[in-house]
Amino acid sequence: MPALDVPDNDVIDRAAGLAPGDALHTARRFRAKVVEATQASHDALLEQPVEGLSTADRLRVALHVSTLAGANSLAQHYEARLGADVARDALPSAALPAMLDFAAALTTDPRAGDRAAIEALRRAGLGDPAIVALAQLVAFLSYQLRVVAGLNAMRASRGGKP
Amino acid sequence: MIRRNGFTDETLEWRSWLEPLRIADASPLQLEVLDESHAQSRTSPYYLTLAHQPLMLRHRSAAYNAIMYAPGGLPRAERELGAMVVSVTNGCVYCTSVHAQRFEQLAKRSDTVEQVFDDPASAGTSERERAIARFAIAVTRRPKELGADDIAPLRAVGMNDEEIIDLLHAVAIFGWANRLMQNLGEPADATIS
Repeated sequence: MPALDVPDNDVIDRAAGLAPGDALHTARRFRAKVVEATQASHDALLEQPVEGLSTADRLRVALHVSTLAGANSLAQHYEARLGADVARDALPSAALPAMLDFAAALTTDPRAGDRAAIEALRRAGLGDPAIVALAQLVAFLSYQLRVVAGLNAMRASRGGKP
Repeated sequence: MIRRNGFTDETLEWRSWLEPLRIADASPLQLEVLDESHAQSRTSPYYLTLAHQPLMLRHRSAAYNAIMYAPGGLPRAERELGAMVVSVTNGCVYCTSVHAQRFEQLAKRSDTVEQVFDDPASAGTSERERAIARFAIAVTRRPKELGADDIAPLRAVGMNDEEIIDLLHAVAIFGWANRLMQNLGEPADATIS
């Protein structure tokens, strides 16, 4: 369990430029359980072993989604994680194009989802537990990038002071 | 009972496009996570689908429950208003039905629900509700462009940093919840299923 007062361990703090002692950093800790569960979600979504879904491919999905959404600080985070991943040089899964298509559609328009998109993932070789993991990751990213964007807006409303 | 624009506050069922976990096949960890996620999750196709990844579900549920139910901060009815506006904006009929009901239970009225179903952008029976609804739409539709102008109306109706963060969390986590509900299955009329 990462210590909550170490900014380097919290992805949202880092992406929003918050450090211990900042008013917004303190205000986030009013909901310490949310901070903790958000970071634990990030870690589990990337690192829990899932058959057919490598951590490197999950990082590629996360990088694609955050780039597509214009969440630059998160895109940098996922790019750095991918660069440090032990399996970064291994070939991506043959299912990666289908995963990226699913992720892009889900990110830009949640209405885009239909049964055909699930069938495309199954045809690409993903089992139901891998599809659940992928959908959770992509849906989480939509949450994460909105929390970061909101914190950035709050900082702007304080004249730039975090 | 309210039915407008394809949305309703009636109870709906949800059908999974994946194979939900069979409770007889569940591991001790899966049972534990189901029970800590929601009171009815052992019979819910949604939770049984997500239970294929129990640790991912565990942390999602911890975040969700703290965001929507923790005491203090933004009144719970206002968190539900944010959740309902996001769900209408994203076209999630199932999520909308659940959170319209929760709003009605907490606020003890349904006038705002009718307004949100008609047009979330102008919905709200007070300046504060209108500010909440507009912020929820802005975060949902254009996260990249959010700025000080989106925060000012919340401050103008008296919200402090903690309440704004509560609202931001409630709105953002429906970006998460709606996408699962809309992409892993579909609503089904309770009377049909």
